[in-house]
Amino acid sequence: MLMGKKGLKIIVVGAGKVGDTLVNRLAEEGHDLVIIDKNVDRLTELANLCDCMGIIGNGASHEVLEEAGIATADLFISVTESDELNLLCCTIAKQFNKNLATIARVRNPDYGKEIPYLRSKLSLEMIINPEYEAAVEAARILFLPAAISINSFAHGSAELVKIKIPEGNVLDGKTIAYLGSNYTNDLVIVGVERGDEVTIPNGSFELSAGDIISFVATRKVCHSFLKSIGFNTNSVRSTIIIGGGKSAYYLADQLIKTGIDVKLIEKDPERCEELSDLLPKATIINGDGINESLLEETGIRDVDSVVALTGIDEENIMLTLFARQISRDIKSVTKINKISFTDVINRLDLGSVIYPKLITSEAIITYARARQASIGSNVEVMYHLFDERAEAIEFKVKEPSSATGKQLKEMKLKPNTLVSFINRSGRIIIPTGSDSIEVGDSVMIVTKNKGFTTLTDIVR
Amino acid sequence: MNIRMLVYILGKVLLIEGALMLMPVICGLFYGEVQVFYYIGLAAIYIGAGFLISLKKPKNMTIFIKDGCVATALSWLVLSVCGCIPFVLTREIPSFTDAMFETASGFTTTGASILTDVEAMSHTSLMWRSLTHWIGGMGVLVFLLAVVPMTGGSNMNLMRAESPGPTVGKIVPKVRSTAKMLYLIYLVMTLTEIILLFVCGMPLFDSICTAFGTAGTGGFGVKNDSFASYAPHIQWIVGVFMIMFGANFNFYYYITTKQISKAFKMSEVRVYLAVVAVATAIIFFSLRGMYDGIGETLRQSFFQVSSIITTTGFATTDFDLWPTIAKFILLSLMIIGACASSTGGGVKIARLQIMFKSIKREIHTYLHPRTVKKIHIDGKPVDGDIEHSVAIYFFIYLVTFASSMFIVAFEGHDLVTVFSSVAATLNNIGPGLSLVGPTHNYAFFSDVSKWVFIFDMIAGRLELLPLIVFLTPSTYKGIFKKAPRLQG
Repeated sequence: MLMGKKGLKIIVVGAGKVGDTLVNRLAEEGHDLVIIDKNVDRLTELANLCDCMGIIGNGASHEVLEEAGIATADLFISVTESDELNLLCCTIAKQFNKNLATIARVRNPDYGKEIPYLRSKLSLEMIINPEYEAAVEAARILFLPAAISINSFAHGSAELVKIKIPEGNVLDGKTIAYLGSNYTNDLVIVGVERGDEVTIPNGSFELSAGDIISFVATRKVCHSFLKSIGFNTNSVRSTIIIGGGKSAYYLADQLIKTGIDVKLIEKDPERCEELSDLLPKATIINGDGINESLLEETGIRDVDSVVALTGIDEENIMLTLFARQISRDIKSVTKINKISFTDVINRLDLGSVIYPKLITSEAIITYARARQASIGSNVEVMYHLFDERAEAIEFKVKEPSSATGKQLKEMKLKPNTLVSFINRSGRIIIPTGSDSIEVGDSVMIVTKNKGFTTLTDIVR
Repeated sequence: MNIRMLVYILGKVLLIEGALMLMPVICGLFYGEVQVFYYIGLAAIYIGAGFLISLKKPKNMTIFIKDGCVATALSWLVLSVCGCIPFVLTREIPSFTDAMFETASGFTTTGASILTDVEAMSHTSLMWRSLTHWIGGMGVLVFLLAVVPMTGGSNMNLMRAESPGPTVGKIVPKVRSTAKMLYLIYLVMTLTEIILLFVCGMPLFDSICTAFGTAGTGGFGVKNDSFASYAPHIQWIVGVFMIMFGANFNFYYYITTKQISKAFKMSEVRVYLAVVAVATAIIFFSLRGMYDGIGETLRQSFFQVSSIITTTGFATTDFDLWPTIAKFILLSLMIIGACASSTGGGVKIARLQIMFKSIKREIHTYLHPRTVKKIHIDGKPVDGDIEHSVAIYFFIYLVTFASSMFIVAFEGHDLVTVFSSVAATLNNIGPGLSLVGPTHNYAFFSDVSKWVFIFDMIAGRLELLPLIVFLTPSTYKGIFKKAPRLQG
């Protein structure tokens, strides 16, 4: 009737931590959401906060699923505590409706190697593992510690890197046009954070010390650019991980494979035993990480990075602050679960922060946008930048439309929208006014507008 | 408290009221009545003011349950005050109190009137009077939610504060779609009734006004004798439609989505229909010999039962002359009321179901002190909080009832008049018994009593709590003054 874009009908099982975040963000995207959980209180709380409908019951039950309207649903996401239940829910849901896309959270490392097998045999659309994703993101940061955060684009052919311009850096006081003519043309700055303001800059924008800039480039260009403006581009050599949960395991595993020295501190002696079986090359230390003398003993002064991965946000923050007090140069990565206090966290000098829940929900929102989009173009990947004040969206262009075949300078883009790069069969083009978008390209758009689902949304 | 959002909501409510006033304008232009100019002027003022007030969308649109209650209560006050101005300006109801009574009675779908001669009113004003029923029936905020896009789940708190019933749930995941769905069902049913009545020989104007009165379960008629002079088959149609509008709207949602068996398994609807059947049967037998033939007796008893249980308040006969047992049944029906999530008033069948089941459970625990037992409705356990809120509702209901009677009793009318006038306003019915019976009206009460009735009508329509939250001083603690800072 009066509605613009129609949302998908999505059923989410499990109103836990991940479910919460996911539901909130999917509701903002305008989807029709039904949440199934056994816990009445959690459901009521969630239903009071966002526009969704709660159903009390077991998500694997036939009757409950029917009541949730599984027959007409488009997407089914199971994110309960238990991997097995998630898989069972998805399997049963699939029986109702062959076209239903199912997504399960599976995070036990026991299944780690079997993910592709499970996916194809149970015909799941996606298996999400927030702990693993968090570890991958943390590892990426440790490999290039100069960056605050790194996300991959276009399946790894380009990277979105965020750096802070330090005092006295060569970029201080330079315009973006100057950067293009004197350093490299193969890089595009998609956003600048200055204080609380976020700008999607044009050529005349002048950078200054303290700005946090986000740019997109291929890995090679990124490294050479960072080197040329005086950043260190070596990976870290040693790290201390505090907290021995699943993401710590995934992270340590990746770091050890590239030869980084890992020390891991974990409270629970039994978990330590397990970890030492799983990670023979790591130094596992049994003890409470929230202990100054233990950290000193472990050698916090001798490592060049520290990763706080305990289950409690407050502890992680304290650990990072402590580590940065010992040495200003130490690279720190902090895991934060609750997303309610991002403003407070941004004001603290924490270095890199990872939000496992956001990483997961981003993947699911991307999927939902792609499902929602018209046939002409598809959302490939989407990232929220600057605390959700801007979005970077990658579109795969499948058909000609009002946004293709025209020079960019002739197109009227919506305000605060930027075509940041075009991937033409593997070649990255940083577009100028005379470039155009062609069918077959992948295009990355950065915008402060919300909810773009097709490429034509960029045109005014 | 989110004051900006409250102002925004009130602006939109005013805008909607102004837009709706165009309906009597059309009617007035059609009949060429002078009163129409007042309506045109007011509609323009309301639309303009509402537009300006709600021009700027607040950044923070979150509404907590407290804000929801205040917004609802304020909206209804604004609606009633702005809605009564045309009556005062056209001099058709010159006294402000009387006009306010009439409008509040309209929006709250009570149908109690202070007019001694309805037929003397202009068509424009009659149309407006009936339209207030239609808006009030489903609720203006529900309408607002349906037409104005508002993000965030907290809007549910607006709907919860305005809609009747012990639990207000959504029928589809989104608040907006739920609100739209409800209004769509409401609109379709109303149009069906208008067409049906018109085809059966009622004049179009009467059909529209009657359908509005039925749909909102209001009860304002356009004739002095309410409904007595209409043909028997028209009375049957209206009788059945009243029952339909008093049923839980989830019932119709299930029917439109082809879940017929689920619809007829709704225990509330079943109990509701059973109560109607039993009440009609008892009254039918008690009326033996009063009317000509079985057909008319049945029609009179059914119409009155249907009108009272749904809290509409149309009358086809002076039921004040009926035997005591019949009057008692009607008085009980007044308090029972219609289904939750319908347009009707009263205590609601769903609440009574929960209450009776908790009594049964309580007795059971006396016999078996260690049993653990939950109450179930439609096969689903009822949360302890809901049970608790139902009990509290009953108590507040009784306290409101008693205090209103206390004030009205000072006027010195007989007890039946006092009791039934409070019952008829608090439950949004309209006519009561004795001096406020179907052939009488509320004009003779003093202004003080009229304001008590206005309070009762709005409190009854909003199911007491929102209005009480609105009137509780601690709701407003700290809204004008920021907490002192302890640190420089």
